[in-house]
Amino acid sequence: MASAPLKAQLTDLLNSMFAMDFLDEQFKELQMLEEASGPGFLAEVVTLFCGDAERIISQLSVLINEPVVDFGKVDANVHQLKGSSSSVGAKRVALVCVKFRNVCQENDKEGCIAALHEIRHEFDELHKKFQTMLQLEQQIQVLDSK
Amino acid sequence: MASSQVVKVLIVDDDNFTRRIYKTMLFRFCFEITEVEDGKNAIQQFVDGNEYDLVLMDKHMPNMDGVEATRTLRGMGIPVKIVAITDDASSKDTFMDAGANKFLLKPLTFSMLTDILKSFNFLN
Repeated sequence: MASAPLKAQLTDLLNSMFAMDFLDEQFKELQMLEEASGPGFLAEVVTLFCGDAERIISQLSVLINEPVVDFGKVDANVHQLKGSSSSVGAKRVALVCVKFRNVCQENDKEGCIAALHEIRHEFDELHKKFQTMLQLEQQIQVLDSK
Repeated sequence: MASSQVVKVLIVDDDNFTRRIYKTMLFRFCFEITEVEDGKNAIQQFVDGNEYDLVLMDKHMPNMDGVEATRTLRGMGIPVKIVAITDDASSKDTFMDAGANKFLLKPLTFSMLTDILKSFNFLN
């Protein structure tokens, strides 16, 4: 089957994402849901998550760079990001969100800046891998439909 | 149960992504699903005369949080099954005191949802 090498590549990618804690068991829940819902569900939720995360991280950058930081608003945004990252199985992003909330609750601006950099880094790494995953899935679908 | 045979579920969560996942889980059972973004809109659904069999209620939401929404619904005499679903473990007692039927910690898995639906006899 023409798609076999791509499927192997996708499997390797996902295995490495689980091994490196980019993803956890919750992502497997979503994979199971896709099996029942049909193709496209995982792509949709991953795309939705990445869009939401990007928006929240941009908002956090604005909030933290205010002369007087509203730690309540920062915390609310981080809480939202933690929720969606937990729901998609984005383990490393969710863990950094926990650290972020801790420094936020201490009104620690420098700590928040550092945590934001870390979230940015973790999300960017995850986003790249998700993009590769979606591209592979798309290519596999095209080949399998022929 | 609400007036028709179809189980009617109200999803109350400010996170679009979370609502999407819950909807996909519930679609497998051919339930009728409505979603709102906060407790205030949840209350309005009932004020408008809508009936539901089940409410999946988040805690932290703008305008009105899940605990207040739960308390308000019970105060209105609404007997709907309310399942609190939140990552705030410390809110369990508060939610149950407000009148929630069950309390679950996020992230919700399909098996957790199925267990809840079975416990309420929503699955044949």
